[in-house]
Amino acid sequence: MSFDDFIGKPTGANTIHVERGSVSRFADALTDSNPVYSDLNAAKEAGFDAPPLPPTWTFASAFLGAYAEDQPEDPTGGEGNPMMKIMRGLMKDGGMVLHGEQEFQYHQPVQCGDVLHGEGKITDIYTKESKGKVMTFVVMETVFKNDAGEPVVTEIFNLIHRGK
Amino acid sequence: MANPVLKLKFDDINEGDEAPVVSHELTRTDLVKYAGASGDFNPMHSDEVAAQAAGLPSVFGHGMFSMGLLGRAITDWAGAGNLKNYTVRFTKQTWPGETLSTKIVVTGKEETDEGKVVTAEVTLVNQDGESKLSGTTKVLAA
Repeated sequence: MSFDDFIGKPTGANTIHVERGSVSRFADALTDSNPVYSDLNAAKEAGFDAPPLPPTWTFASAFLGAYAEDQPEDPTGGEGNPMMKIMRGLMKDGGMVLHGEQEFQYHQPVQCGDVLHGEGKITDIYTKESKGKVMTFVVMETVFKNDAGEPVVTEIFNLIHRGK
Repeated sequence: MANPVLKLKFDDINEGDEAPVVSHELTRTDLVKYAGASGDFNPMHSDEVAAQAAGLPSVFGHGMFSMGLLGRAITDWAGAGNLKNYTVRFTKQTWPGETLSTKIVVTGKEETDEGKVVTAEVTLVNQDGESKLSGTTKVLAA
């Protein structure tokens, strides 16, 4: 398979429950003591019905809030995220995998009690030469929607393989 | 329906304004806590023995911890729930013992269909001024 064959391929889909325990512990791990993440009264004073999300929470959300009983059908057909397959292939010849860039686009605030529906796909793969080494960039986009089907957060994840 | 309180006053914001700095000395406990809270158990971040066996001087920080720490400084400044965009490029690894400091500098403001938007350049640097990540954010103002 050439790189182009991977572009547009799904990387996975998750139903995510946004819950207070994971949100408050995640904020605490980031040294963020803002009471909006742990105190319902502080969240209400800040304009929410329940604690909101720290800006990077969705990046970890498949680990934090996905449960077996309501997951969507696996769009990869059990193959798993093709991004990982691409990187494993490149790593056969050595090198290093780096998180190059990360973007979050926020469309609507998310708060505890919300259920998110995340769907990812590969949007680009390209190579560049830098200091005589081949750098391979794999870009994945994940869109999280609310129960009404409206996008709330879009993540763009850029993973780099730096050849030996 | 969430209606986050806007902390920034659009009319009072000017290009070059800086947000309050958040400084934090990175510890191995931070790395373990972030691993547990995010599910990123890459041993290069949490297992000193494995990291040294791989030729590294020690464990090193998760890039997403750095982005989260800088994100904390953005929400401290603009208020939780008021980000429209947050984009970074990771430039260097972070190491336990380094003191990481945030820098947020306003680069512009405009009234858009989505509200009054303030744009800023954001960076995280260590005690020697070495940049660990740099990027931009767009936040809402009143």
